[in-house]
Amino acid sequence: MRRIIVSCAATISGVVLLLSLKPHSTATTSSASISTGSSQSSSSTAGGTSASPSPSAGSSSSSSSSGSGSSTSARTFTGTAAQTRFGPVQVKITVKNKKITNIEVVEYPSDNPKDQQINSYALPVLNQEAISAQSAQIDSVSGATYTSDGYVSSLQSAIDQAGL
Amino acid sequence: MTTVADGRSAYDQSTSHRRPSEPPPAIPPGALPAAVLTLIWAGAAAVLGLWWVNTSTVSGTGAWLTDAGRITGLLAGYAAPLLVLLMARLPFLERGVGADRLTRWHAMGGRYMVGLVLAHVVLIIWGYALTDGKGLMGETVDIVFNYPDMLKATIGTLLLLGVAAVSARAARRRMRYETWYYLHLATYLSVALGFAHQLSNGADLVSQPLARVAWYGLYLGTIAVLGWYRLFVPFLADRRHRLTVAEVRPEGPGTVSVILTGRRLDELKAESGQFFRLQFLTPGLRWASNPYSLSAPVTSRYMRFTVKDLGGHSAAVARLRPGTRVRAEGPYGAFTAARRRSRKVLLLGAGVGITPLRALFETLPAAPGDLTLVYRASRPEDLLFRSELEAIATARGARIHYVIGARREVGEPLTSDNLKRYVPDLAQHDVFLCGPDAMTATAVSALRAAGVPRRRIHHESFTF
Repeated sequence: MRRIIVSCAATISGVVLLLSLKPHSTATTSSASISTGSSQSSSSTAGGTSASPSPSAGSSSSSSSSGSGSSTSARTFTGTAAQTRFGPVQVKITVKNKKITNIEVVEYPSDNPKDQQINSYALPVLNQEAISAQSAQIDSVSGATYTSDGYVSSLQSAIDQAGL
Repeated sequence: MTTVADGRSAYDQSTSHRRPSEPPPAIPPGALPAAVLTLIWAGAAAVLGLWWVNTSTVSGTGAWLTDAGRITGLLAGYAAPLLVLLMARLPFLERGVGADRLTRWHAMGGRYMVGLVLAHVVLIIWGYALTDGKGLMGETVDIVFNYPDMLKATIGTLLLLGVAAVSARAARRRMRYETWYYLHLATYLSVALGFAHQLSNGADLVSQPLARVAWYGLYLGTIAVLGWYRLFVPFLADRRHRLTVAEVRPEGPGTVSVILTGRRLDELKAESGQFFRLQFLTPGLRWASNPYSLSAPVTSRYMRFTVKDLGGHSAAVARLRPGTRVRAEGPYGAFTAARRRSRKVLLLGAGVGITPLRALFETLPAAPGDLTLVYRASRPEDLLFRSELEAIATARGARIHYVIGARREVGEPLTSDNLKRYVPDLAQHDVFLCGPDAMTATAVSALRAAGVPRRRIHHESFTF
């Protein structure tokens, strides 16, 4: 009996110790965003991510639907954040003359190197496909099933808001 | 049974001209077990390191729970093939660590692994539920039915918990050893079912090629080792040695000796004190491979085992017919002369524990006067091999003390004072101990009280 208690206590303290030694903040990582669009001169490729925080994204996963007007005829619509197994995915589209001209992923899972690696190749592909298809009827990226599902869901929500 | 003109069996004829075997070079006691344990811990550290390098942050309750689930999952997935390897009958492990210690490690490690699996399941379900914003029930259903390979893993886990339940001491006491043994084989299936989900869902394995290769290597390597030592080697040995039952003779109340005959048995290099796992190829006994101790040195043609009738299986052994084919795995066991450190040796046995001691009494290298046997039994008719033991004692100048009497009549005879009376310079002896667990526990305390250091007391205990 004593051995059971000792090994349980040792395991629990070991696991808690390991977990507590890792940093606990995500403020610097979860607000990173990737965007692709025909109106952009710079495009992010599969190997890189743009680290500029998007001013319209919050780091919480609350669902926010908003359309914001600007001085040009382009309007942006942010879809509801879709929950995936690895974290939320939220997509913001820019619509001009009833066409999607730009897509920005304002929130995506990036808590660990695996997520970052998967999404750095998947998201640009999804962005490109969506702009070509001008809808959310796009194929998932293999190896990024959960992100693709979340992306499509959030994109559809943004498209519905835009009335396309 | 083959008999010759003067009425002695062929086995008795062959053994009258036997010489004691050469002692093999001694291995430092404790070196191999310590090395094996170190390797196991190093592997566990590497597995934890895998989690460490793959995780950059742990933020939020959901992540804490999920990552704790990953850690316990990794450790469980590492422990499973290791536990199988401990029981794979690797010769260097069996000889260097000892079958009894391996069994205890396996039992303790097995219980720990079941705990890890349970913790892993609870932590992952809870952590995912918090991250996904779902209820526990909904999350469980989602995981089991929608995630890859999870249906198999769930069945494997349920199988594992079932085996754990019937392996608890309370349950084992109520069933025959053979029944428990067959149920326990389900753990192979459980480990096989759980393998796939580790590679398709394990966050630390999914996209790490090196780790995946290592994981495949661990599991496939275990299968290869298992197939080699538990299937192929016994098959080859069977063809080379062609063991059959030569004779079954009663030795005492409820005890029989089984004499096997075969070819080139000296190649087995069996030492006194060791045991074999025997599988009798006859209906009813075919699927069980159980341990039997050698009660005499092995010659090139004959091996003698002595077994107490403990009901069921052992009773069937007493009815074996000569000529029955036998498959033998072994020799196993570290209860041999190689462990001895002093010139003087005491063999202390009770009941059917005399079996390996009878073999050691004949072959353990010792000068006249340096070897003593203390044989404890409840009644005089329970003494086994009496004439053999006395012939050996006379031939090599060894001493025998018979300690007879049921405990309720004579009290506990194995006290340090009594032992010192039988063996005056007890503290300078190595002691080989074999008997029922209660007796060995009493004897160990008495020996320690009499000044025998722990590392010079040798015994094998097979309870787990």
